[in-house]
Amino acid sequence: MTSAPRGAARGTSQRDLEEDADELVHLYGLEDDDELGDEFADETMPRIEVSEYPAAEQRDWRLSGEAAEAEDLGFGGWGSEGQCQDLREAYRYAHGRASEEYECYVIPEEEDEEEAPDVFCATCKLPLRALEKVLEEHKGHEVTPLSKALESAKDEIHKNMCRLEKQIIEMENFACHLEEVFITVEENFGRQEQNFESHYNEILETLAQKYEEKILALGEKKKEKLEALYGQLVSCGENLDTCKELMETVEEICHEEKVDFIKDAVAMADRLRKFLETKTDVELAAQPALEDQTLDFSDVEQLLGSINTIPAPSAPVINPQAPSSATGSSVRVCWSLFSDDTVESYQLSYRPVRDGSPGTDHTESTVTVKETYCSVANLEPNTQYEFRVTAQNRAGLSPASERAVYMTAPSPPVIKSKEVRSCEEAALIRWESGNLNPVDSYTVELTQAEAPGAAGVTESVVGVPTCEALVQLQPRQSYAIYVRALNVGGPSARSEPATVHTTGSYFRLDEQTCHPWLAISEDGLTAVRSERKAPTREPPPRSTRFSRCVAVMGNLIPVRGRHYWEVEVDERSDYTVGVASEDVPKQEDLGANRLSWCMRHTWAAPRHKYEFLHNKTTPDIRITVPPKKIGILLDYENSTLSFFNVDISQHLYTFSCQLPQFVHPCLSLEKPGRLKIHNGIPVPKHVALY
Amino acid sequence: MALKQISSNKCFGGLQKVFEHDSVELNCKMKFAIYLPPKAETGKCPALYWLSGLTCTEQNFISKSGYHQAASEHGLVVIAPDTSPRGCNIKGEDESWDFGTGAGFYVDATEHPWKTNYRMYSYVTEELPQLINANFPVDPQRMSIFGHSMGGHGALICALKNPGKYKSVSAFAPICNPVLCPWGKKAFSGYLGTDQSKWKAYDATHLVKSFPGSQLDILIDQGKDDQFLSDGQLLPDNFIAACAEKKTPVVFRLQELLLHRYLYY
Repeated sequence: MTSAPRGAARGTSQRDLEEDADELVHLYGLEDDDELGDEFADETMPRIEVSEYPAAEQRDWRLSGEAAEAEDLGFGGWGSEGQCQDLREAYRYAHGRASEEYECYVIPEEEDEEEAPDVFCATCKLPLRALEKVLEEHKGHEVTPLSKALESAKDEIHKNMCRLEKQIIEMENFACHLEEVFITVEENFGRQEQNFESHYNEILETLAQKYEEKILALGEKKKEKLEALYGQLVSCGENLDTCKELMETVEEICHEEKVDFIKDAVAMADRLRKFLETKTDVELAAQPALEDQTLDFSDVEQLLGSINTIPAPSAPVINPQAPSSATGSSVRVCWSLFSDDTVESYQLSYRPVRDGSPGTDHTESTVTVKETYCSVANLEPNTQYEFRVTAQNRAGLSPASERAVYMTAPSPPVIKSKEVRSCEEAALIRWESGNLNPVDSYTVELTQAEAPGAAGVTESVVGVPTCEALVQLQPRQSYAIYVRALNVGGPSARSEPATVHTTGSYFRLDEQTCHPWLAISEDGLTAVRSERKAPTREPPPRSTRFSRCVAVMGNLIPVRGRHYWEVEVDERSDYTVGVASEDVPKQEDLGANRLSWCMRHTWAAPRHKYEFLHNKTTPDIRITVPPKKIGILLDYENSTLSFFNVDISQHLYTFSCQLPQFVHPCLSLEKPGRLKIHNGIPVPKHVALY
Repeated sequence: MALKQISSNKCFGGLQKVFEHDSVELNCKMKFAIYLPPKAETGKCPALYWLSGLTCTEQNFISKSGYHQAASEHGLVVIAPDTSPRGCNIKGEDESWDFGTGAGFYVDATEHPWKTNYRMYSYVTEELPQLINANFPVDPQRMSIFGHSMGGHGALICALKNPGKYKSVSAFAPICNPVLCPWGKKAFSGYLGTDQSKWKAYDATHLVKSFPGSQLDILIDQGKDDQFLSDGQLLPDNFIAACAEKKTPVVFRLQELLLHRYLYY
């Protein structure tokens, strides 16, 4: 970069300016002129002298511009952010100015319509044209094609959306729970308030009562005493009156004549004597002093005391069941207490939820625990249980919590291993639920069994609604496949595994379709027609069984790929092998309709006759070496069905057959004999050509 | 040996060429057609030799059969030689359509005046493959042969006389038992003389009886309404019977409504 100093000499600061200018250019992506042109409204900045504008020298120009500004603004160093900010402003200013005045100014990243950005610089997080990648600014940066960047940005967004959705659900659940807690707290504290109020009122009432009683009692006592005293006073008065009267009488007597005096005196003396003999009660009837009257406040004390004693606790709140916290025989119940009550233990009661009216015999069980959770075991799988919990302390039991329903996880399903069908790319698994009541869904898990017991990657297919699943697999591997049942309580334990080898197509002969005169082996691969005409047991005729043709069909996995299998035949027997669609008319011969294609061999010594039958027609074909093992290749993609002599790798015949529906292997024995199927064979090279 | 390219046409992504060369076996200039599929540009391809029938040249197959698409798709080099030496100026060579020019019968003649030039057997089994292997991207280990009518006969005998040389042999309406049919009798007596034991060496039905039976895949297609079949010229049943006895694997397909014509291809 040439450095043509303009204006006053700047010495070493020039270098700094250049570097910083570059940095700022970089930092603020200021190469794009469009961005800046708009910002530039008024022109109040000083004129800058510029002479040429080829791209190479633009930096110089900028440099001079900002340097000029810097000078004007009196900046020496570049430390503070404020300075940088101002500098940026100044810089922008200058740049914009240039573009306005000089249209030939070359801007490296001007966006032409023809040249839209097609790559993405991950380091600068900018879309660019591919050319720009070469520029210094982006050298060494990670650049990806724009479409890829778009895709990964879309992926990010999608992922984040999913997370948002999840969060929404979580928050909603939490909000519900909070509401419940809110209500409980209101209730609990309301109770406390009431409790206290009534306690307190009781105390007040008792005190008021005591007051009344006491006052009354005092009043009564006073009255009593006063009355007693008054009585005494009255009798005193009477006594006095009598005394006075006697005194007056005696005085009168003394003033009487001797004879009258003696008469009266004796009588008087009698009276006096009698009177004075009567005791004068000069004891006070009532003591003036109050007796000791300690008020009995013990009951009030008790009441006051009980205000402070610990009340019985408030009702706890049972939590809703945490997802996947249950097993097939246990659940983990949790609850919380939303008050400051002291609790010594909790009592958890539960019983199974049954359909039908309440009042049926529910056996309720109770467990006492100290914690706020409990794992309840020995439960039935896939069953709902109703729980409620009470808190307990010295004062008594709390009211019971609301009832919460928890569900145990289901029992593991049972895979029907005899019905497993597979091919190179997929497997069809069927299973039994393992539970009496319905479950929510099933999960199918696959691991590649590289070595027994080795922990490989497990692939899961979730949300399977019915008891069957078609899973995609890689060719030439061995898999262990498990199934779990799922309900609100969580997943069941794994089922027993089914092993699948994706070396070729595997299928079995279906006994349901088998003509009564054919016997199918245990492994579903051999069909035998014995000499005896009538079978030992004649099962009832069914629409699924072949009735005329002594045939049986296999169950091939419904996958539109290539399927290959071999049938071992007896050269001397009359047999037919091929494929047929599921709804082939079972009362017709194989090959006699449009729904079946097969090869038929008839042995009429010494000639072997071969026919390739479909819709009752066959080409005229002669085969010189009778096959002992027939290879059959069913190719859905190419719509062909080919037959081979396996032992000599000879192609015999190929049908071109439109196969809109799925077909299954079929075979029949026109005379007593035996046909054995060989499965799971990879398509041989010579066959693969067809 | 110098090859002179006579023509070259693009076809289904490959090239259909015709070359001319001086044949050592046949002592004359011979033409052959060769189709090079797109795959031949990058690697060696299997070679398939087509032998035409009576009256044909190297042109019949490449013009009328429409085989190019299949050859292109499957990456096969297809070589179609002429059916006899030409321009040899032998007296009587153009007298009949089923003997002489255009009717080489793929034998090495022993009788005068034919023995100098009429050595189609050696040409097809030795000279031509060597020429092709040296000049074109073919895999010498993967060679097969097929033909129609007289060419079918030629394909069968070449395969049966050279166990292991050809991976497969197919024939359309071949002359299977020339020793017993009018065409064969006429041709063999002309080229090989009256000693019938020499004839058997070029008769598929006889050859199969002594064929050592290594892996050979034989496919024969025969039109049911072929008049030469009913005329007893082709005699496939004899061949089949011999193969069945010898346990040589053959698949023989009798096709409805098909005649003897070139359109059969």
